[in-house]
Amino acid sequence: MRPMDLFLHYLRMPYLIDGVGYTLLITLLGLLGGLAMGVVLAAMQLSRFRTLAIVARTYSIIFRGTPLILQMVFCYNALPMIGIKLSAIAAAGLALALNEAPFIAEILRSNVIGVDRGQVSAGQALGMTPAAIMRRVIAPQAIRSMVPALGNEAVSALKNSSLASVVAVQELTLRSTQLASATFDFFSVFFASGLIYLILTGAIAAIQIVVEMLLDLDRPPPKQQLARFLRALMPGRAQPAAVAVATPPDVAAEILADIVADPLPPASAKAARPPQASAPLDRAARARRLAGNNVAVDVQGLRKSYGTQPVLQGVDLSVRAGEVVALLGPSGSGKSTLLRCINRLEGWQDGAIRVGGRRLGSDEAGRPLSPRGIAQMRASVGVGMVFQQFNLFGHLTARENIAGPLRWVQGLSRLEADRRAQELLERVGLAHRADALPRHLSGGQQQRVAIARAVAPGPAVLLLDEPTSALDPELVGEVLEVIRRLAVEEGLAMIISTHQLRFAGEVADRIVFLAEGTVIEQGPAEQVLRAPSHPLTARFLSTMNAE
Amino acid sequence: MALNLIRHFGGGREIGTAPLRSALLGALGLAVAATGMVAGLPQPAKAASPAACAALQAKYPSLKGKTLVNAINPHTPGYETIDPQDPSKYIGFDIDLGEAIGDCLGFKITYTPVTFASLLTTLQAGQADIVISDIYATKDRAKAADFITYLKVFDGVLVAKGNPKGITGIDLSLCGTVAAENTGYVEVPLIQALEGECKKAGKPAPEILLFDNNANCIQAILAGRADTYINDVNTVDGAVKAYPDKLAKATAVTLPYSVGIAVPRNKVEFRDAVMAALTEIQKAGLQAELMKKWNLPAEQLEAPTLVLAD
Repeated sequence: MRPMDLFLHYLRMPYLIDGVGYTLLITLLGLLGGLAMGVVLAAMQLSRFRTLAIVARTYSIIFRGTPLILQMVFCYNALPMIGIKLSAIAAAGLALALNEAPFIAEILRSNVIGVDRGQVSAGQALGMTPAAIMRRVIAPQAIRSMVPALGNEAVSALKNSSLASVVAVQELTLRSTQLASATFDFFSVFFASGLIYLILTGAIAAIQIVVEMLLDLDRPPPKQQLARFLRALMPGRAQPAAVAVATPPDVAAEILADIVADPLPPASAKAARPPQASAPLDRAARARRLAGNNVAVDVQGLRKSYGTQPVLQGVDLSVRAGEVVALLGPSGSGKSTLLRCINRLEGWQDGAIRVGGRRLGSDEAGRPLSPRGIAQMRASVGVGMVFQQFNLFGHLTARENIAGPLRWVQGLSRLEADRRAQELLERVGLAHRADALPRHLSGGQQQRVAIARAVAPGPAVLLLDEPTSALDPELVGEVLEVIRRLAVEEGLAMIISTHQLRFAGEVADRIVFLAEGTVIEQGPAEQVLRAPSHPLTARFLSTMNAE
Repeated sequence: MALNLIRHFGGGREIGTAPLRSALLGALGLAVAATGMVAGLPQPAKAASPAACAALQAKYPSLKGKTLVNAINPHTPGYETIDPQDPSKYIGFDIDLGEAIGDCLGFKITYTPVTFASLLTTLQAGQADIVISDIYATKDRAKAADFITYLKVFDGVLVAKGNPKGITGIDLSLCGTVAAENTGYVEVPLIQALEGECKKAGKPAPEILLFDNNANCIQAILAGRADTYINDVNTVDGAVKAYPDKLAKATAVTLPYSVGIAVPRNKVEFRDAVMAALTEIQKAGLQAELMKKWNLPAEQLEAPTLVLAD
């Protein structure tokens, strides 16, 4: 036979095709076993218990640092010495799994770490337990981003399965070499088996493309999808626009249109802006009313430092139910840290914080709670938080960002949660964008959704950490208006750190001025703004007004 | 997951057993059921067993009905390779001899194909029960297994056609040449030992390329990477027959070794049984018949002797 005929003969030979079955079996055992062990290893490395992390790291060093061929021989020939006699297939599958595990663990770990930390903070602030955050926020986003790396790993596992030939597994490579020895048709046999391997790895590449498309959040209709799939198979012709990574131009245009087209609904009678002249009277009455309310947040002697750098040096602050407090102060004065301590997103060295009369982060006896316990306490005490960077869950629509936590934390039914989400979206003027993903919303729209999300469970206290600092100037107004209405309509205690002096004067009952980690001045908003008593406050206010 | 699967497959040691096939079909949904999945099933008995075998089966009843695993390096045409006509089978003189011993003692044989260097490791690990794979019984190897010899060793010197380097055996003609050998072959230390003599004669030492099967060694000569491959004369003859335009046998060499069957060191009863069966097979003329079938020279036959560690 001519070489070409021989090649085709071997390509179709049932003996080699059956070898593919073993190749796939070993690959599958290696990948599934490696995935299972990789999940455990990654969890150990990410855990807050150091010993687990050290054990996992040691395992990785050993099994990533030794050749697979040795691991194969070890599982097949050395394990029997300690009484574990595995079949060739089991030994090869085990060795491949042991070897894949550290690589897969690193893929998992890097993609978990890669999910925006802000979204994790947001989940915590909503009262989601660590497990719920992993399942609802991190995993869905990490899984999407790890598909390419896992595809790589699958291809490499398939090729590595050829090493099972050294432990007598009848897979493609072993069968090819045996056939070559028996027939002396060296090249025809190996070209045939090489082509078979190419077909297999090609199939993995195709599966990867399909999975990536299925997980694409901006998934187009099926017809376009097929066209896109075909384009993806022919990289030369792929159009850069086919993969929507950045905001496509049409979406950008849509956002611009929305800024004009999504005004807030008319304010309720209560929230309509009062005429300026009557303000002082109203304020005095309101101040008297608030003075009789319970204390919602009570901070006493709070001290915190990052390493040797002190951030809070004995902060005392008391906020009554329904009171709106504006936290002013230069950058680095500890405003954000104070807010993050109040809902226990951060710990501290000394002092005490009570929210609704309860200490967040420790039980009645003062023993520290687990992260899960802290999450449950946050939800039951009712502290919501709005972040500078919005921190919406990137893979969920605006509606789902609000409705999801209501189902997961407060246990609402889907129907109730959706109704509540819709109602809040209407209030912030975004009902028509309910199905949009965060990345298709403008910054101002995102922050309005984030505020709706924080308010949805009906918290007693709302913490807003520089809610407009990350916004373009023209978008600041819409967000401040939403907050202003909340302050008037909801009657919940609010602590807002901000640089917007006019807004603070208009909305806040009290201004607290923080500098160098302590409260250096506080009082009724107008008084502090008009006649600051501390020179630092005066200097800060004049600088801000000058801008 | 992995552990479950391992437990599932833990029982099956033969290649292509039924549970594996169903697991393959179930797990992968592949239509690999075609044919030829079953590798290494015993071939039907070719010759009648000597009458004395009945007595041996009575003497060693524990072997009867068993299925033993024979570790082989199936890259040696004439001794052991897969059957090109039906790759699910192994064929060759060693295969037939093993089947004859099995027939005589009443056990069946399956095969596990490994590299030459791991033949004895596989036996030591208990992943195989016996090794019949053209392996020379040396004192060194006897540290890993007991040997029962059955053939005398004649080596051939495989060279490129025309013997351009003028190689005449394991002697000074090897100085400065490149020899292809398999890892673990007895020829390796013999060639290495030439280094001193070559140096004394003012010539460079021979270089050795190590591979793990015959086919790779033969390819090394065909590709011009090696000048010679010294191995069992029948293997060398087979290679010359396959590539008559490119290869030639320079000469034959006698080595002070015998080919042996390897059995685990601690199983004396099994060793005795195999040796007794081999004796009967030789007495009945069956081994001579098989050697004729596989074109092995009749003078290679050797009466069974034990090669044990000191």
